[in-house]
Amino acid sequence: MAMIYKVSYVVQGGDHPGAIVNEDEKPELGKKVMLGSNEFEVVEIVDLMPARGDFSFLHVTVKAIEH
Amino acid sequence: MTLSETLSQVELFEGLEPEELDQIASICEERTLETGHVVAKQGDVGDELFLIWEGLVEVVHEETPEDPAPRTVVNLGQGQVFGEMALVDYGPRSATVRVISETVTLQAIPRDAFLEMCNSHNHLGYVVMRNMAADLSFKLRHQHLIGR
Repeated sequence: MAMIYKVSYVVQGGDHPGAIVNEDEKPELGKKVMLGSNEFEVVEIVDLMPARGDFSFLHVTVKAIEH
Repeated sequence: MTLSETLSQVELFEGLEPEELDQIASICEERTLETGHVVAKQGDVGDELFLIWEGLVEVVHEETPEDPAPRTVVNLGQGQVFGEMALVDYGPRSATVRVISETVTLQAIPRDAFLEMCNSHNHLGYVVMRNMAADLSFKLRHQHLIGR
């Protein structure tokens, strides 16, 4: 089975509470992600805990994208 | 994909055998709810655990005399679990959970049937409780990072 990425998203600045979501693809620096109806850019990726089975555990910092 | 195969992609059930996933699937009840629906209310008695199949919910600490401003503490999306605290400690719901995507699809697992299954199938019970502890740990680490 393909790896599942359990991601803790933390938003830089502001008061967004962040999110915890399973992703099919590993987040990448500079890529855009949607958390609900809001779009963010990935600025940091850190392994939060060692992988277990098919699950990888990541902490991802994102920043809001200004439109 | 069968419900059991899909359950294998939920961290809570990582490490279970196919027949054990079938047992879990037999007590799941699927629900689709619309935006704004309150799935769990802080302070209420909770007797179900929820898995998010699709969509997004917000977890809100309601106002209390000690903390007068309600605040969203985290959003939870696909593959995440909530309602597990009331399931294991029999306490009231610790937060309100509300649907914030257009719709959300959940699997609801009743506490009594779930705990009976964990009690009567040692491997299943051990794996699920280990994974539940790991999930609570992950949520705690997330909260620590929010406060950095």
